[in-house]
Amino acid sequence: MLEIKNLHARVNPEEGEAKAILKGVDLTVPAGEVHAIMGPNGCGKSTLSYVLSGHNGYEVTDGSVSFLGEEIGELEPEERAAKGLFLSFQYPVEIPGVPTLTFLKEAANAQLEARGEGEISAPEFIKRARENAAKLGISNEMLKRPVNVGFSGGEKKRMEIFQAMMLEPKFLILDETDSGLDIDALRVVADGVNALRSPERSMLVITHYQRLLEYLKPDVVHVMADGRIVKTGGPELALELEAEGYEKFSGAAA
Amino acid sequence: MGVIPQLSAFEAALAASLPAGDLRSVLESGGLPHRRVEAWKWSDLRGALARAPSGAGALTVDVSRKADQIARLDHQPDLLMPRLAAGLSDGCPVYDLQDGETLSVGFEAGEGASHHIAAVNVPAGVNAILRERYHAAPGGFANIALRIVLGEGASLTRIVEQDASPDGVLVVTTGIDLAARANMHQTTLGFGAKLARLETHVSHAGEGAQLSLGGSYLVASGLHLDQTGIVQHTGPNGATHELFKGAAAKGGRGVFQGKIHVEQAAQKTDAQMNHRGLLLADGAEIHAKPELEIYADDVVCAHGNALGAVDDEALFYMRQRGLTEPRARALLTRSFLAEPLEAIEDETVRDALLARLDAALEAVS
Repeated sequence: MLEIKNLHARVNPEEGEAKAILKGVDLTVPAGEVHAIMGPNGCGKSTLSYVLSGHNGYEVTDGSVSFLGEEIGELEPEERAAKGLFLSFQYPVEIPGVPTLTFLKEAANAQLEARGEGEISAPEFIKRARENAAKLGISNEMLKRPVNVGFSGGEKKRMEIFQAMMLEPKFLILDETDSGLDIDALRVVADGVNALRSPERSMLVITHYQRLLEYLKPDVVHVMADGRIVKTGGPELALELEAEGYEKFSGAAA
Repeated sequence: MGVIPQLSAFEAALAASLPAGDLRSVLESGGLPHRRVEAWKWSDLRGALARAPSGAGALTVDVSRKADQIARLDHQPDLLMPRLAAGLSDGCPVYDLQDGETLSVGFEAGEGASHHIAAVNVPAGVNAILRERYHAAPGGFANIALRIVLGEGASLTRIVEQDASPDGVLVVTTGIDLAARANMHQTTLGFGAKLARLETHVSHAGEGAQLSLGGSYLVASGLHLDQTGIVQHTGPNGATHELFKGAAAKGGRGVFQGKIHVEQAAQKTDAQMNHRGLLLADGAEIHAKPELEIYADDVVCAHGNALGAVDDEALFYMRQRGLTEPRARALLTRSFLAEPLEAIEDETVRDALLARLDAALEAVS
């Protein structure tokens, strides 16, 4: 489903020199699989999620990203979203003045329009919103509030998963979805993510810790260090990292 | 010693239309306000009118009812533009508002120069709405002076809509007197002109009187809107709250000048002034000058002013969910500009202004 080859990218700051962050990432995620990427701070995990979703603060200098057999490296963020790519943000952005449901309905219809499909009806959308919100313990009142405004860190992460449920993407990138969650909230969010698992949907789970992976049970675990995937293995690799730390992999990448 | 300025043809024609006297000599010696006059430094009226048609203009004033009387009125404050409006008008229609009344006035300036003065009284205890709408056709200039007086405990919601008027020039100067316990809520929605200035002077008696001044503006390319407000607190226990928010597109120019003056007698004044500007593109201009001048020692006064661009991270977030960039920008701009309008109490009026803002944003994006 997602095939990344030799991906190099750098950040283009407004001031100062560009800095290479991704230095040859190779990664393939087949349909229906959940892959985890673990790695220390600054290894390029979050950059990878931004580059995949088309953030204009990063420049791809080499390599390719193919999604569902199509090269997407040149596409705008909204074009990638319409193809089914969803990023659950590490730090979801607050958007004052725009009610959550209004925003999501507009986003859903924009995606449908881009794919040449008909709009979703308002009653159908609200019915689905209520059902999905209930699964995540999100109140109707929260849905009326402006996007992420005044929400706690945990509520924002729940809202990200709620948005994914509403938009039904083909591919989810979860960027440190576990950060800021206590153990109960983590379970609710993980249940929500597990409910989204299907043979037609893949996920890339970016995390520091093994904790979230206990719930999500990834098929494959990758270790990232210094802008590259340095090791790939099964779920046992996450346990190994938790026990031994990242140090030896950082060394391997140097 | 002063160098007598070369009057433009427009100014010369204006001076010639005045009887000999003080007003005429003021105009002849100084001309119209221009950018070297501090209060007009961002709004060069003289320049905007230098080559404008100077013949008598056709001003259509469309009022929802007849005036209660026609009076002769010297305009307060004592400034050149309202003095010209008073001096060049035949008489001043005066409206005494009834409780529950909505008075609507539309001003449409055709080609040429027009001057008009009107007065609105809100008697003690009366609660009313005043709606004004301004537009100037290409080559049209309207100089309008309004005088609004609120009696004790009177309430007035004043709504000013200023339609986009490319190649037109508008100056509206309003003097407002608030008596004790009066409640004035003024909101503007403006889109600019070749040059438009909405200038408001409030004499605030305090003693429980409340003033809210606010508005939203959106200036597209080639349009200029100046909102200048001077509030004078003369008595104790008064409150003033100002919230102005505006956005300028490339080639658009917004000006906010706000001054709150708290006299020594105006103890326990609560005055807050805020202006927020959004620059929608490179080449957009917003100029702001918020000022507090306080001579009383027991007051709560604050002002804030901030200019910025649309938040890139919010933009990316919205696009990641599938919204196109123009649509995401429009939603963010809309949510930014809606705040002052959402404070309008009357639901019908509020919805009408929000709908106008939406329509204008569609046109800009």
